[in-house]
Amino acid sequence: MNMRHTELTDDLQERASLYAAGAMTDSERLEYVRHLDEDQCSVCQAEVKELQSAMSMLAFSVPSSSPSATVKVRLMQQARQAVPVSQPRPAGFRWLQWTTAIIALTSVAVALSLMRTNTELRRETDALKSRIARLEVQLGEQQTIIATLTRAGVRVVDLAGQGTNTQASGRIFWDQSRKQWLFSVRNLPPAPADKSYQLWFVPKKGSPISARVFNTEADGSITVEVPVPDNVTDLNAAAVTTEPFGGQPQPTGPFALLGAM
Amino acid sequence: MRNSEFPLLRTNLFTALLSVTMSFEMAEDDRTEQQDREWIRGMALKDADALDAFYTRYNRLAFSLVLRIVGNREDAEDVLTDVFWQVWQQASRYDASRGKPVAWLMTIARTRAIDRLRSTGRHEVPTSDPDKHNGPPAAPAQPDPFVQTDTRKAVHEALQSLQEQQRIPLEMAYFQGMSHTEIAAALGQPLGTVKDRIRTGIMHLRKRLRPYL
Repeated sequence: MNMRHTELTDDLQERASLYAAGAMTDSERLEYVRHLDEDQCSVCQAEVKELQSAMSMLAFSVPSSSPSATVKVRLMQQARQAVPVSQPRPAGFRWLQWTTAIIALTSVAVALSLMRTNTELRRETDALKSRIARLEVQLGEQQTIIATLTRAGVRVVDLAGQGTNTQASGRIFWDQSRKQWLFSVRNLPPAPADKSYQLWFVPKKGSPISARVFNTEADGSITVEVPVPDNVTDLNAAAVTTEPFGGQPQPTGPFALLGAM
Repeated sequence: MRNSEFPLLRTNLFTALLSVTMSFEMAEDDRTEQQDREWIRGMALKDADALDAFYTRYNRLAFSLVLRIVGNREDAEDVLTDVFWQVWQQASRYDASRGKPVAWLMTIARTRAIDRLRSTGRHEVPTSDPDKHNGPPAAPAQPDPFVQTDTRKAVHEALQSLQEQQRIPLEMAYFQGMSHTEIAAALGQPLGTVKDRIRTGIMHLRKRLRPYL
């Protein structure tokens, strides 16, 4: 018998019955077990499974008896001694391990979340500080402007756009007591990268005197303070020219703004 | 409703109740089998608690079978220890496709008990008197809380429904480990007759006990 059967015959059923009942001779049993295990005959395996289950039910026909308690004690002692140390620990231990692991993971998650929150808060704080600093500067400038504008004896000089900058305009608030101009420009496009705007004191006699080199913001505006030197007293005009980057000792470029005193 | 309809109504109610009762019992059996499989998996992982639980459920059933075969308590307790030790050691080899855990356990218990019976040289003298095939004087029957009463009843009825000439060779094989040739010689019957009676007897048992397999 060294094959897989395709159907259950009376002969095969008889063999399965004898095996399940434990009625085979030793040699028959060895050969049959080999057939079941090595041939992997599913037909015989299925039949044996059911018949063995049926025969095992005979155990329920026997009057029930209980072994002495020492059997269990001996068995469990033997089993627990055989368990390697590295084998699964008692349920309480596993529970503790899981709990510890969950707490550790949760702590890491919370710490990461706090770190992230902390970083975001620090970034926002830095941004707010920077904004406050800018506002403080602006506030200082505005206060200077307001103080200049409201101070008695301030002279106002308007400058008009020249050449291609007719849309531009400028205004000088001349605080003569403090010898200082507050110079404000509107609608004057920023100078090209290789150019600068240069403000000139234009006296009634003598050559123009450089007051300041500047450039406008992207919106064409700027407000700057310009100190007025002691030797600048009798002015004919104020002018802005377009000069090579960094300015020149004397005007060389076209007028951008011009205003008479 | 006419009086003649009452018997039919009672019959239908009885059938419905029986069906519901059997459904509950089958569901209980499924849960038991599932739990058994989990314990066997636990034993394969060397979880001693699983062995404890499995022993607690089946020690009486296995011990009763072993005692029935070997005939004395001292040997039976030794064998019982060996049986559950083998279960503990071979749990990883349990093949669910070969049958229920309880059938696997009973197969081991019977095999170990028959081995002990043969090693001690004690052998019951088979006779055709079924009353003499009950092994040792049975201790007063103690109810096993883990074996459902209806299972015992069903097995008892299945055996009672067997023809004696079928039941005796089956019990001689199962409880005494006798081969068909030994049974034929003991009963003075042709070998072919004994084989056929074993086959028809076990077929009958399977048919009667199918709901419990």
